[in-house]
Amino acid sequence: MTFLNPLLLLAGLGVALPILAHLLNRHRVQHTPWAAMQFLDRNVRVRSRQLRLRDLLLLCLRCLALILLVFAFARPAWRNGFAKWIPGEARAGVVVGLDVSFSMEQGEAENNRFQRALNQVRVIGQQMQDGDPISIILLGGKNKILCRNMAFDQQRLDALLQETKVSSTILNLDQVPKRLQELVDDMKAHQKEVYFITDNQARDWQQVSAQFDDSLVDLQRSANLFLVSVSGEPTNLAVTDFKFVSGALRKGTIARYQATVRNCGIAPVTNVEVQCRVEDMQIDSNTIPIINAGRSETVSLFVPFHNSGPTRITAKIIGDSLLTDNERRVVAVVRDRVSVLCVDGTDGDAGRLVTAALLARGDGAQDEDYVVRSVPWLSLPSQSLDDVDVIILADLPEITPEQAQLLSNHVRQGNGLVWFAGREVKPTAWNEYLASENRPLLPAELGNPVDTSTALGAGRPLDAAMPDHPVCLPLRSLPEDLFSETRFLRRLDVQPTSNSFAVLRLAGGGGPLLLEHSLGRGHVFQFTTSADTSWNNMALTPVFPMLMQQIVTYLAGREYERPRIVGDPLSLSYVEQPDASDAVFDSPSGETISVPVQQYRNQFLALLENATEAGFYTARVSVQSPGMPVAVNVDSQESNVASLTNAELETKLAATNIIIASSATELASAIKTTRTGRSSWRYFMLAGLMLLLIETLWSSRLSQQRQTRSQADRPITNAVTGAPNA
Amino acid sequence: MSEHLPQTNYLDPEVLQKLGDLELIAREVVEGLRVGSHRSQLRGFSTEFAHHRQYAPGDALRTIDWRVFGRTDRYYTKLYEAETNFDCYLLMDASASMNYASGKVSKLEYGKFLAASLAYTVLKQRDSVGLSIFDSEVRAYLPPRSSMGIILQIDQLLREIQPTPRSSIAKQLHDIALMINRRSVIVVISDLLSDAEDILAGLDHLRFDGHNVVVLHTLDPYELDFPFQGAWCFEGLEQEEPLTTQAERIRADYLANFNAWLETIRNGCTASGIDYATVNTSTPLDEVLSEFFFQRQATTQAGAARGARP
Repeated sequence: MTFLNPLLLLAGLGVALPILAHLLNRHRVQHTPWAAMQFLDRNVRVRSRQLRLRDLLLLCLRCLALILLVFAFARPAWRNGFAKWIPGEARAGVVVGLDVSFSMEQGEAENNRFQRALNQVRVIGQQMQDGDPISIILLGGKNKILCRNMAFDQQRLDALLQETKVSSTILNLDQVPKRLQELVDDMKAHQKEVYFITDNQARDWQQVSAQFDDSLVDLQRSANLFLVSVSGEPTNLAVTDFKFVSGALRKGTIARYQATVRNCGIAPVTNVEVQCRVEDMQIDSNTIPIINAGRSETVSLFVPFHNSGPTRITAKIIGDSLLTDNERRVVAVVRDRVSVLCVDGTDGDAGRLVTAALLARGDGAQDEDYVVRSVPWLSLPSQSLDDVDVIILADLPEITPEQAQLLSNHVRQGNGLVWFAGREVKPTAWNEYLASENRPLLPAELGNPVDTSTALGAGRPLDAAMPDHPVCLPLRSLPEDLFSETRFLRRLDVQPTSNSFAVLRLAGGGGPLLLEHSLGRGHVFQFTTSADTSWNNMALTPVFPMLMQQIVTYLAGREYERPRIVGDPLSLSYVEQPDASDAVFDSPSGETISVPVQQYRNQFLALLENATEAGFYTARVSVQSPGMPVAVNVDSQESNVASLTNAELETKLAATNIIIASSATELASAIKTTRTGRSSWRYFMLAGLMLLLIETLWSSRLSQQRQTRSQADRPITNAVTGAPNA
Repeated sequence: MSEHLPQTNYLDPEVLQKLGDLELIAREVVEGLRVGSHRSQLRGFSTEFAHHRQYAPGDALRTIDWRVFGRTDRYYTKLYEAETNFDCYLLMDASASMNYASGKVSKLEYGKFLAASLAYTVLKQRDSVGLSIFDSEVRAYLPPRSSMGIILQIDQLLREIQPTPRSSIAKQLHDIALMINRRSVIVVISDLLSDAEDILAGLDHLRFDGHNVVVLHTLDPYELDFPFQGAWCFEGLEQEEPLTTQAERIRADYLANFNAWLETIRNGCTASGIDYATVNTSTPLDEVLSEFFFQRQATTQAGAARGARP
């Protein structure tokens, strides 16, 4: 026998109250001498004696009623087989964890995994009784709690389920037992049941940590645990990647984008059409002849930019039932023009080579919207930086603190800086100027030049430290022999700062050649080698123009060009304090979210904690201001919808006693089998109230009888005293 | 306070009890009463007509018999035999039931003040006062005397007597009736807590012997109103079995029975020509006496108007 609220049993001490009142009343009889005894109705005394017995019975009734009510509120329950004569009903508190990751949408619309999961929740509801506590948590992303300890009501449950939708998030299986445990601990019920309804994605179960099983065992100590499987066919195509590869984000140019489509199913898929849409208008498409099971294929899509400004670009496949991952989005901020200023600290070689690399075209002509200027080091103070998007500092011996501050502010406003080492660079002077900044201008502290030549005197080749970095992407298309022609004889020894990372390095685990870090809204690239040919032959190989053009395109872009993943934070940053105190984010579904602008270090920041939908968000400084689109995509890991079979699940969960059910029949049967406890509080409550009612009626009747007898006795008394019968 | 009464400072029985000196108490009560009723026609208790004598200067005009004047054209004054020398017997009930007191003054104490006040009044008129104290039997008897010392004797006798329960009052009244040879005014001070017929039988005996009987029915306010609430154990002063009960449940019955009994006695007294007055022990003594004398005067005048007394 257990009690849900054992502390309430202390209220049973309240039985002492009626007893105490009875005793007090008994001892509260006051004594008085009395002369006119002959007029006192002796019959009442006789009846009061009888009443004492009746009062005792009434007292017993009251005490018993009180005890029963206390028992009812303490919520007693029995295990089956104990005290069978006491009536009880099989009741339980239920916690439902419903997987709402987007893989649950796999399948036909009316019978997809999620719809079957909702049906299973309804089956659980059918086994519950009104008033039983139920908590439902939507597992995926931030794990939203749909209801917590709600008194069960079929209509309310149906209404809740109708509003429930699949999210664009993924399931973090490791967190599931912990979140369920929180709800179980928060629930008051004799018997608790936890239902985890999921599609058992193999990817999730293969990635669980060692603590997952332990957490499940802990959870089982406080509740019966059911795993309700709603797995389905593992067929799914997903656009797993979509990115800018080459070209310039300038009005009037064409950029090449690359879309990667993965076949997550178990059979090959043929003729997969990939569409490219700009501002929801299809402008290109490509067809992949065949994608084998479990493989990915990549197609190029070309996007012409006819207008400047932020542009929404989408890659989309047609014909796949799981819609959420059929699209992938990016935003391109298309500029009217791009201006590059190269400040040459050498005798002119570096500037010439950089300019040639950036202006390299098939026809060799210079585009008027793409301006590249090279100026000598000494003329830097006279240059206006207002219209410059990217500044390249090639082998500058040193700069003044004012220039360092000017460059720093220029980058923080969202522009780019490329720094080249060289023979003229004075590391000590640079370090001295830059050390005064809170956050240094360059990604690394400068050291002395080091020889990187091999024993044969040849330079060491190049290697991509981050192959997926946008700067490195075009290099991957170069033939191996052409790529390895680039050789480096010397470089500066550098000490990278904590916020920087290497993009290129010397082959064979050598030192970094190109480092990057962000500064405010802009980025800084730092080459540890020279732009001219004094320390390398890079400028003479195809690597250099590809690298420089990609760097300029990358730096001329804006932060919101980089797509985010559902669950990532979205932020708007300002160099100067904005007029409005709140920034506004419009979600793809049209919801407007206001976020306060807060000062953070040297800038102002509006942060939306996490994006919950896939699509294009619009970030605005205020409600009236024009918006900046932000692409938010789903995490492509969730696209692998292959599920574990029941046999595989049982093997995986062998250490636990979790009950696995795949169908409604299995689930209903399992619930009936395991729900063994009997709750009797309703019966105790009913009995207690009945006794109180009986006590009230009885005492009322006794009172009436007393009055009746008293009236009946009066004429006899009057006759005795000789008074006339009135 | 009755509207016909003059404005007097009524004496609280509890205050009188603190005085202790019964004579002083009696004097205070009676003198105060007399001052307050200076212009009233207070004439004592005598009602026995003796004879006429011729009017002499100085006689009160009120004593002139105008009927004789009408017949004879001479002034004659009516003389009452007892007016100059009548005996008044105070029959004091000292049974255990008289010891009941809801406040500080018991019925016995109050009766004592009442008896002393009456004795003082009678003695002031130069008449004689006798005393008889009874409970289950006649405990003490003082023949009528006309000295103030009797007031002290009343106090002393009441102190010495140990109250005992009483079974019947009629027997004691019969016994007292045998002791009194001369027609007298007999004042019974008692709570009369006994059977109504038994009481009336005793009183009738006195009345049939030719005595002028006055009953001062002395009762406690709690006996009159029965204001008890809750559970009470009533312990009988006359050795009755105690009764534990819920007072509010029996109140209606009690008051009905008590008032019926009271009515029975009052009617019985009226029918027998006995002057009857209910005395509430919470009422100031002078107020009681004033009210009593006023009623008595009214009764006497009514009787005179009728021409004869039964």
